[in-house]
Amino acid sequence: MPRDAVRNVPDLAGIQRWMQAVIVHPGGVEEALAAPEAASELAAERLGELIRPSHSLSPAERVEIYHGMYLMRMVEALETDYPTVRHFLGEEAFEELVREYVERFPSRSYTLNRLGDHLPRFFLEEPEREHSAFLHDLARTELAITEAFDAEETPILGPDGAQAVPPEAWPGARLAPIAALRLLELRHAVVPHLEAAKRGRPAPAPRRRATWLAVYRRDYSVLRLELGRTEFTLLKSLADGTPLGEAVAAAARQLRSTQREQTIFGWFRGWIAEGLFQSVTIDEVSTDDQ
Amino acid sequence: MKSNRWQLPDLGLGIGLRTRHFTHILSEQPELGFFEILTENFLDTGGRPSFFLDRIAEHYPIVMHGVSMSVGSSDPVDRDYVAKVKALAERTGALWVSDHVCWTGVLGRNTHDLLPLPYTEESLRHTVAKVREIQDLLERPLVLENPSTYLEFVPSAMPEWEFVARLAEEADCGLLFDVNNVYVSAFNHGFDPVAYIDAIPAERVCQYHLAGHMHKGTHILDTHNDHVVDPVWELYGHTIRQVGLRATLLEWDADIPEFEVVHREVLKAGRWREREAAHAA
Repeated sequence: MPRDAVRNVPDLAGIQRWMQAVIVHPGGVEEALAAPEAASELAAERLGELIRPSHSLSPAERVEIYHGMYLMRMVEALETDYPTVRHFLGEEAFEELVREYVERFPSRSYTLNRLGDHLPRFFLEEPEREHSAFLHDLARTELAITEAFDAEETPILGPDGAQAVPPEAWPGARLAPIAALRLLELRHAVVPHLEAAKRGRPAPAPRRRATWLAVYRRDYSVLRLELGRTEFTLLKSLADGTPLGEAVAAAARQLRSTQREQTIFGWFRGWIAEGLFQSVTIDEVSTDDQ
Repeated sequence: MKSNRWQLPDLGLGIGLRTRHFTHILSEQPELGFFEILTENFLDTGGRPSFFLDRIAEHYPIVMHGVSMSVGSSDPVDRDYVAKVKALAERTGALWVSDHVCWTGVLGRNTHDLLPLPYTEESLRHTVAKVREIQDLLERPLVLENPSTYLEFVPSAMPEWEFVARLAEEADCGLLFDVNNVYVSAFNHGFDPVAYIDAIPAERVCQYHLAGHMHKGTHILDTHNDHVVDPVWELYGHTIRQVGLRATLLEWDADIPEFEVVHREVLKAGRWREREAAHAA
């Protein structure tokens, strides 16, 4: 190899900028080598001055190994976090989605676990994409499942802890949710899709239906509850820190007077049984169920 | 037989800690010397993986193996990441922390691949400086794995084994010697794997890796999804003769089978260890 050619190849930083630009390019490897991001570091026709051929592969074929593995890795990561989106779109369309998504939201984290954090936003900002509103809801749901899985473990307020609160203190009490609780208000039915993906059945057609979900973790498994509008609104209000008296009064106005107390009490019993709260705070004094 | 510079223990045989095997490990308490965790899988999760790691660490020694330290990247050290790695090491009592001789991204991006370095004086100088900085932050030596690679750079001025050996000496770091990676890279680049093994400074080596791979005809990919092939076992035996006994991990990270399959595979390493130890005695 002539010394002149070797002398003009990029330095370490330039080599790395070049290689990264080629690897992450959404097109094929020839297109990637010729694209401005790579060609500004090393013109495509000078590839042989930087990369050696092997006994069986040309320099471009050797670069292509890394180029091909990049998208495959991104697809695998997003399949793990969004299996229902993948199930709905099918293999080919999902791969195309990933190609577009990682070009817009490349990984800037040390972990692939955060790669998919922006997928709901991606769908929201692409209203012209087919089923974008439904996919936005589905992606939000699956992101909530991932977040519930990874959330820190927090203590659970059980029935004994709740009963320890004197009745007169309840109106001013505030309930703190467990770290692994996520509340979702959606415009589409997503549960049939979650079930279809889980059981390997064909994905149903998207359907607009107001849906309210609580996604949470108990005993290290992620669970979900499908709620009615008023129950969801009350639960969210409490999780946001609204004093109990105020939140319950607002919910009660949405319910028939004959069923009010029984209904709300039933909701509370269910939430406590599912371990959705970690503590209740009364006048600056926190009561945890130890 | 020779030991390593820091007298880190020979932990015997180990397996990577994988979600699929969590319950089996806790209930059956298999006979193993240690578990290796993928560092990034445990840095930011407070859920099930964290729960099982804490339980398993009560019964087995743990070592950490990461993929994002990016010691060869022209980007600066990610101090937040190193701080998290340090915190996890302290929480688990990890006996050592390892990563790879590679880079994973620049300009703040991460390709999540172990990308090859040109083996030049410039990249050696740069990588040595970064490894020293990381070790100062970690307050312990970093253990670096020789990579499997699929291309070579024309400007490289030395073979990989010389780069790795000089890196270990000049940065005063440890080596995780991956025997399968030597086999894979030797095929891909046309060099003699024995020459690589013979050039490695024994006192720097703290651990071995063994793994399966996928032969594509024109090249081999380091896929960690199968049994170890016979030529790699032979190289492992040669490595023990040259370097000595070290903690040996069987990597099986893709198409992960039942625990017993992986366990049976790593027990083969035990038979090689016994044979080489008897030979040396």
